[in-house]
Amino acid sequence: MLQILIQGLLLSGLYSLIAMGFMLIFSVGRVLNLAYGTYLMFGGYVYFYVSQMLGMPKLVGVAMAGVMGVLMGIAKFKLLVKPLKGDHVAVEISTLILAVVLQAGVVLIFGDSSKILLPIVPGVTYIAGASVTYNILSATIASYAILAILYLFVRKTHTGRAMMAVSMDPKGTAISGIDSDRINMITWGISGLLGAVAGVFFASYTQLSPHMWVAPLILSVAVVIVGGIGSIVGTLVVAHIIGFMEVIVVAWFAPELRGVFTMLLIITVLIIRPRGLFGREEL
Amino acid sequence: MGLRWYHFALWAAFIAFMALLPELVSKGTLRTIIFANFLAVFAISWDVLSGRTGYISFGHPFLIGIGAYTSAILTKRYGFEIEVAIPIAVLMTMLGGLIVLLPALRIKGSYFALVTLAFMELMYQLVQVIRPDLTGGTRGMSGIPTLTRGALNGYYLSVTLMLCVAISMWLLMKTRVGTALSAIGMNEESVRGSGLSVTKLKMFAFLTAAAVAGLGGAFYVHYLGSVAPRALFDINFLFTIIVAALIGGSSTIIGPVIGAFFLTFLLEGLRPYLPGAERYFIYGGIALLLYMYQPKGLIEIFTQGWTRLRSRWTT
Repeated sequence: MLQILIQGLLLSGLYSLIAMGFMLIFSVGRVLNLAYGTYLMFGGYVYFYVSQMLGMPKLVGVAMAGVMGVLMGIAKFKLLVKPLKGDHVAVEISTLILAVVLQAGVVLIFGDSSKILLPIVPGVTYIAGASVTYNILSATIASYAILAILYLFVRKTHTGRAMMAVSMDPKGTAISGIDSDRINMITWGISGLLGAVAGVFFASYTQLSPHMWVAPLILSVAVVIVGGIGSIVGTLVVAHIIGFMEVIVVAWFAPELRGVFTMLLIITVLIIRPRGLFGREEL
Repeated sequence: MGLRWYHFALWAAFIAFMALLPELVSKGTLRTIIFANFLAVFAISWDVLSGRTGYISFGHPFLIGIGAYTSAILTKRYGFEIEVAIPIAVLMTMLGGLIVLLPALRIKGSYFALVTLAFMELMYQLVQVIRPDLTGGTRGMSGIPTLTRGALNGYYLSVTLMLCVAISMWLLMKTRVGTALSAIGMNEESVRGSGLSVTKLKMFAFLTAAAVAGLGGAFYVHYLGSVAPRALFDINFLFTIIVAALIGGSSTIIGPVIGAFFLTFLLEGLRPYLPGAERYFIYGGIALLLYMYQPKGLIEIFTQGWTRLRSRWTT
C-alpha cells in the first residue's frame, strides 16, 4: 500500500510536468501542439549529447536541453503558428507533420536504436521497504519545484497574469493593451522549456528512442481533456489521478492494461462532461 | 447534380490509363502503385469524414484496424470464406463508426480530434491484451488467406477497388447530401437553421467513411496476408493518410488520389538515396512545405496554374 503511494507520487510528479507545457499552449494559444512530444525527445537527446557524448557536467546538459526547448518553442511559434494565423486545423496538421519530420531527423543524427541514459543522480535509497533510485526521487522533487515556480509566475507576475488573461478572453486583453502575440510567444517558449526538461527526466525513467514522443503526447492529451482547459490545479490533480491509476493497475491487475484505463477515462469524461473536470465553460 | 460530359470523359480516360499501366511499367512499380491505391482508398475515406464535415479525425486507423482485424480473425481463426468475411468486416467497421460518432454529437474542433486519437490508442492497447489467442497479441497475425497472387492480379484488384470507391464517392458527393455535408464543414449552425437534421447528416458521413475504411482495411489485410498492431494503429500511418488527403486537396475526390500517388512515389523515389527511416525527414519536410505553401493542396496549385495559362492564351 505504502509502496503504491510512493510509486504513484513519483510517477505523478513527472506526469504533471509533462502535461503542464501542453496545457499552457492549449489554454493560451488555443491550438493543439501535436509536436509537443518532440520537445521531450529533443530535450532527452540534447542532454544525452551534451552530458554523455561531450562529457560536460550534467547540470549543463539539463540547462542546454532547456535552452534548446525554449528556442524550439519560439521557432515553432514564429515559423508555423504565425504564418498559419492560428488556423486550428492547419496548426494541428502541420505540427503532426513536424513531429514526424523531427523524429526522422533524430534517426538521421543518432540512429534508430534506443539509448540508455546514465542516471542524473546515481544511488539507491529505501523508503518503507521500497527501493527508490535517487535519480527518480530527484527528478520528482525537481518537477514539483518547477511546477511551484510556474504557479507563482502565472499568479504573481504581470506576464503570467497576462497569459491567463489571453487564455480567458483574447479580445478583452487586446483592448487592455496587452500584446497577445508577445504573450503567445512567451507561452510557446515556456512550454518548450517545460517539455525539454521533462524530457530529460522522462528519458532517464525509461530510455531514449526516436519513438519516445508518442507516449507523452498521449498522456498530455489525456490530462488536458480530463482536467479541462486553463486550470493549473486541474492539470495537477488529473496528472495525479492518472499516475496513481497506472501504478494501481500495474500492481493489482496486469501491466499490459495500464494504458487502457487512461483511454477509457478520457472517453467517458469527454462524453459525459466535455469541458473536463476542472475546465471553464466554453464549447 | 452538376454532371458534365467532360467529367465522364476524364474518368474514362483515367480508367483507361490505369488499365493500360501494367503494359508500361515494371513489376516493382506495380507493387508501389498497389500501395498507392490502398492509401488512396483510406485517404478518400478520411476526406469524406473530415475534409467535408470539418470534424478532423485522428482516429482513422481505428476504423481501418477494425475492418482489417475482423476480416483477418474471421478467415484465419473461424475458417470463413473471404467473400463472406469482408462484408461482415464492413458492417463491424460501420458499428465502429457509430462509436466515433458518439463524441461528435457533443464536442467539436480540437476536442474531437483529441478523442479520436484516444480511440486509436485505446484500440492499440486493447488488441494486444484482449484475447491474444484471436488477435495474435503484440506480434499480430500472419498467414491470412489472400485473394490473389502476383503483382499483376493484385494491381487489378486494388485499382478496381480504388476506382469503384472513388467514383461512387464522387457521385455521392455530387448529390444534395454531399453538398449538405460540405455545408456542415463551413457552418454547422446555418445547416441546422436550414431545417436539415445535422445529426442524421453526420451519422451518414461517419457511416459512409467507416464503410469505405472497413472495405479498404479488409482488402488490404487480404492483400498483405498479415497484420500487426504497431503497423496499423500508428501515428506514422495516420500521418500518411491525413497528409495524402490534404496534400492532394481535401473536399475533392481526385485530390486524395493524387496525394496518395504523390506521397507513395516520393517515398519510393527517396529509397535509393536514403534507405532507412531517414527518408521520412525529406518526405515529411516536403509535405510540410507544400502544406504551408498551399493548404488546399496540389489540386489547387494545378487549378491556379491552369487558369493562369488560360488567361495568358485568351489575352
